[in-house]
Formats: sequence, C-alpha cells, structure tokens
Amino acid sequence: MKKVLIVDDSISVARQLEKIIAESGDFQFIGHGKNGLEALKLHKTLSPDIICMDMNMPGMDGITALRSLVALDPAVNVVMITSLGGVGDKFKECIKLGARTVISKPFEAETVLRTLRNI
Amino acid sequence: MAVKFFGQFLVEKGVISREALLQAIQLQETANLGFGDHAVAMGIMTETDVSRVNQAQRAEDLRFGDMAVKLGIITGAQLQDVLAKQKSSHLFIGEALVKVGGLSSADLERYLAEFKVDQAKYATDSVTIPAGTPHPEVCTIIVDLTSKMLTRIGRLTFRLESGRLAAAPVENDIAASMGFTGDVRAMYVLTVSRPVQKKIAMAILDEPDVEQESQGILDDTLMEFINVVCGNVAAKAAQLDTSLDITPPLLIEQPGSQQMDARSIGVSFPICFSDGERAELFLSVLP
Repeated sequence: MKKVLIVDDSISVARQLEKIIAESGDFQFIGHGKNGLEALKLHKTLSPDIICMDMNMPGMDGITALRSLVALDPAVNVVMITSLGGVGDKFKECIKLGARTVISKPFEAETVLRTLRNI
Repeated sequence: MAVKFFGQFLVEKGVISREALLQAIQLQETANLGFGDHAVAMGIMTETDVSRVNQAQRAEDLRFGDMAVKLGIITGAQLQDVLAKQKSSHLFIGEALVKVGGLSSADLERYLAEFKVDQAKYATDSVTIPAGTPHPEVCTIIVDLTSKMLTRIGRLTFRLESGRLAAAPVENDIAASMGFTGDVRAMYVLTVSRPVQKKIAMAILDEPDVEQESQGILDDTLMEFINVVCGNVAAKAAQLDTSLDITPPLLIEQPGSQQMDARSIGVSFPICFSDGERAELFLSVLP
C-alpha cells in the first residue's frame, strides 16, 4: 500500500484528503504537514511514496518546497493540489520543477484517486 | 469542478503523458517570444531599448510594453501592433502537444470541445458593478465566481444584491480575507453569520452535522472556501491575460474595523438568505 503525506495549511483540506485516501483502500495516510518546511522534515522522517501538497501556504510555500524536495530526492512523487491549478503559468511551473501533476481545488475524490493510481 | 487550464484538463483525463506535456511546454517557451523579442524582430525597438525597459521595470511595476511607451521608446499604436503580432503568433498548449506528437489533431479538436463544455459552467455571467469601481472586469469575475462557488461548493440558496460603494465591510459574526496581487491589487473579504459559516463547513467537510466541530475547524473551512474562490478567480483572470496571485487566507476578528489602503475603493455586495441570515462580499480595490 502506497504511503501518502499531505501538506496543506488547511486542516479541513487535510481531513478531506485523508478521508478520500483512507476510504480508497489503496493508499495509507501517514502524516500532515502545514507548510513547506514541514514537508521537507516529514519527507525525511516518514519516507512517503507520494506527497500531496498545496501551493499557497504561509511560511515556506509549496513551490519552494517542491524545488527543495526534487533537489533532495529527484525520484520524489509530488502532486500539487491547489486552488491556483487552473492558472496556466503556475501549472507549467510546477510540472517543470518536477511535480507529477497539478490538481485544482475544489477537487473530486475520483480525480484525486485516479491521479494517485497513475503514479 | 474548477476553472482549469487546458493542459491540466488533458492530464486529468489521462489523455497525455507528463513527458509529452513537458515537451510541449518547452516548445511553447521557445516559440512564444516575449514583447521585447517581437518588438526587436519587427524593427520597432533595439536591444539597447529592451535593456532600458528591463532596467526601468526594476523600479516600477509596469508591463514591458507599457513601460516602453512611458519611456517614449514606442508609441501607443506600435504597442498595439506588437501585442497583435504576439497574439497572432502565439502557440497554444494544444497545438504544441500536436507538434511534439503527444496528441493527434483529431483528438485536439475533440478534447477542446469537451473542455469548452466542462468550463462552460464557469462562463462569467453579468454582474452589476457600481460605477467608479476600479478594474470592473476583474471585480465581475470575483463576484460571479463567489456566487457560483457559494451555490456549487456551499450548496447555499441566496440572493446576491447589487454592489454599492462602501468604506468598510458591514459587521458580522466572522470574516475571512485574502489579498490579490499582480495586475490588480485588491483585498477580498467574505463576512458571514455563524449559521452561514456552519453551512459552508458542512459542505467543505462533507459532513451532515458540524455541531461538534471546534471553532478552529469552522474558521478553517471559511478560509479554505475563500482560498478556492480566489484561486479560481486567478485562473479565470489568466484566461483574460490578467495576471493575479493570491496571499494566504486570514481570519478577521472584527470585520468592521478592517484597515483598508487609503487609496482603495470599497465595494459591498450583500448576500441574503431565505432564512434571514446575511453575508457580505466586500472588495477593496486599488485603482
């Protein structure tokens, strides 16, 4: 079962994603970070298979964290889940930096699971 | 369920690979020249002019073409000529995907049609924006998407009243705000009563009851709601060539006391619910 780390400053989004992941039966929720810095720390301690990360967070944002995660671990699987996903330039920036893909908020469970299963 | 970029729509559909998308993005970056490159190629500006504009942009937040006009390097008519050339020669992501072999021409037509249907629900409807409101086209998107998201995400039935100029948000139980930066600088404030906040929380958390939830969770759902609205506003604005970024959402303890930039214009859109509850969308927009 693939281990999933969620990084989002919103507790309610983390809860939504945790529920989707838990009910899928295919993935295991292993932790929640609230900003980019916590993403880096939890990536090191929990070794997730997939990181679902927001872009717009206080402190270290998702783009900065993505850049650092890819530099530390080029094989890292990061899916950005963000309300800015529909902004073409933001989407392209994430893909170029190494994100597997970008999911827009509001998201549907089906889209999240299909994306995670494709990784 | 959100305002999307065509490349993202194709990835979500599983139609294209990430590798093909990356190649297409790289092709776009090579093919789509910036304003300065076009102006030089058209013989309107020199490389020295481009450097002057770049230098001036470090001191003042103006788009390249606007700065070139301000510095007297090009005329307003030449600005329009370069913009027209830039637009007519633009390589779109779908065309780029076909060129790199990531998508067939027939599939491009098919998925573009599907994309238009998917995004039709986010077409901007007419909204009454008061005269004197700065950037009315962006304000229209903000008001329209707030209304659509309250309906689709919040599952709320309400009446959005016409906007009126106002100095500050009307006091209510709770408010959350977000800032827009980029081509338009504005503050977005949504004030709601506690019962409305609970309804939004029920929808965001997908729970039939939120009575046992902490106030912190309820506040978080309101902030997440405006985060989703404002992010989708940025996506919609990008389709109109207006670049917006957003700041993280904040909770405002006393909405009526919110400090606004003295130069900004405030606009209030009252939101009335059938059970008598009230909410308000307040925008503070810099001219």
